[in-house]
Amino acid sequence: MTARLQAILRLLAVQAAWTYERMTGIGVGHAAAPLLKHHLSSQTREARLAAVARSAEFFNSHPYLAGVAVGAVVRAEKEGVPGGTIIRLRTALSGPLGALGDQLVWAGQVPALIGLSLAAIPWFGGWAVLLAVVVHNVLRLALTAWGLDLGLREGLAVGSALQRSWLPRRADDAQRLAAFAVGLAVPVAAWYLLADVATNSAFAVMAVGGLGAMLALAPQTRAHVTGVRFGLVLVVVSLLVVGGSR
Amino acid sequence: MTPLLALALWGWCVIVTVDLVSAPQGLLSRPVVAASVAGLLAGNLAAGLLVGVALELYALDVLPIGAARYPDYGAAAASAAAAAALVPEAPALALAGLIGLPLAILGGWTLHVHRRRSAESIHRRLERVTAGEARAIWELQRNGLIRDAGRGVVLGAIGLSAIVAAGAFPWSAFPRMELVGAATVAGGLAAALGGALRSGGQGARRRWLAVGMATGLLLVLSR
Repeated sequence: MTARLQAILRLLAVQAAWTYERMTGIGVGHAAAPLLKHHLSSQTREARLAAVARSAEFFNSHPYLAGVAVGAVVRAEKEGVPGGTIIRLRTALSGPLGALGDQLVWAGQVPALIGLSLAAIPWFGGWAVLLAVVVHNVLRLALTAWGLDLGLREGLAVGSALQRSWLPRRADDAQRLAAFAVGLAVPVAAWYLLADVATNSAFAVMAVGGLGAMLALAPQTRAHVTGVRFGLVLVVVSLLVVGGSR
Repeated sequence: MTPLLALALWGWCVIVTVDLVSAPQGLLSRPVVAASVAGLLAGNLAAGLLVGVALELYALDVLPIGAARYPDYGAAAASAAAAAALVPEAPALALAGLIGLPLAILGGWTLHVHRRRSAESIHRRLERVTAGEARAIWELQRNGLIRDAGRGVVLGAIGLSAIVAAGAFPWSAFPRMELVGAATVAGGLAAALGGALRSGGQGARRRWLAVGMATGLLLVLSR
């Protein structure tokens, strides 16, 4: 197995040792290790150990884009860039890779695919779910490999290469698609689920759902009212009603 | 529930738990995916989809960013879906609320504990990590994965116990139990709507959200 492929596979588990102190640092070091071993084979043992230690320091980014930093750092180590500069490169990449990845994946691709899947379930059943999983994983692997290759190609210049790339524009597009897909999913999912609830309570369910959404958004209540808390309170209240009317 | 099915469901709970954060983050831990597969394993995909859609509405409210704390819906959805598939006399959506929501919150708490344990593990190997010992880094990754799988084993065991309890519960003695299902759906709608409006912001995304909702309403009304 090539060092690049090993790094890609390891990037799939980049958050396995995630902590509040180092965040993805250990995972990034683990993914960089085969590439460092391959590219720094001609350097001294001390230089290799120092590079591995640097690669496992604190790092925070979106997990799918951590490969950009891994590639850039490996390229910089290979070119003999001073350690202090490499640490500054990692620090500089943390924010943009986190923000771009969150916009593209967590606020874009994932809700878009899940929303479209929810909207399609009444017509296509489990196939809609399977398609969402397959598309997500193909895109996830492609993004991971693209990021690693971009980093390896650009090295210290990876920040500007990232800005020039398709990523910032597609992150915006993905969020718009996600907004559309979630909007589409809410009425379809409500209709799908309410078919399983007694017809005379369907309007009450929608009204209570709307009230919960307002509470989750209102400045006075939004710090305390989350969806899951609101749902749990409703479940407990309904249990009391069910128990009382037995 | 046969021992083989119990083992398969338990294994699926471990897979979806590890998928959430550790590896490979491939959507398997999403409630609609975890519940569909669990429903399929238990012989009733429709029940799995119903539970999955209900819990997915809650998960749409979550942005799993950085150090944020959030519920872990994977094993919770799988357990609730399997219960719905195996206990047909129980209302499926009530099981989503009774098993899925509490187990998801418990799962979120175990994730926090797991992260604290990972930090302790790093502290024990700090000297070796700062010396650039690749083996120490590999050990941390391996232990992190094992610990997260252990989290899945615990959540799966609790989920399986909940399925057994659901099977033994006298559902027929509580004829209005559907009300709990209605409450679960209402909470899910509140979560999805609130989350969508919050992340929709003020500009173009909110317009796209409105277009999506209008399209969804048209789809529903045309049925």
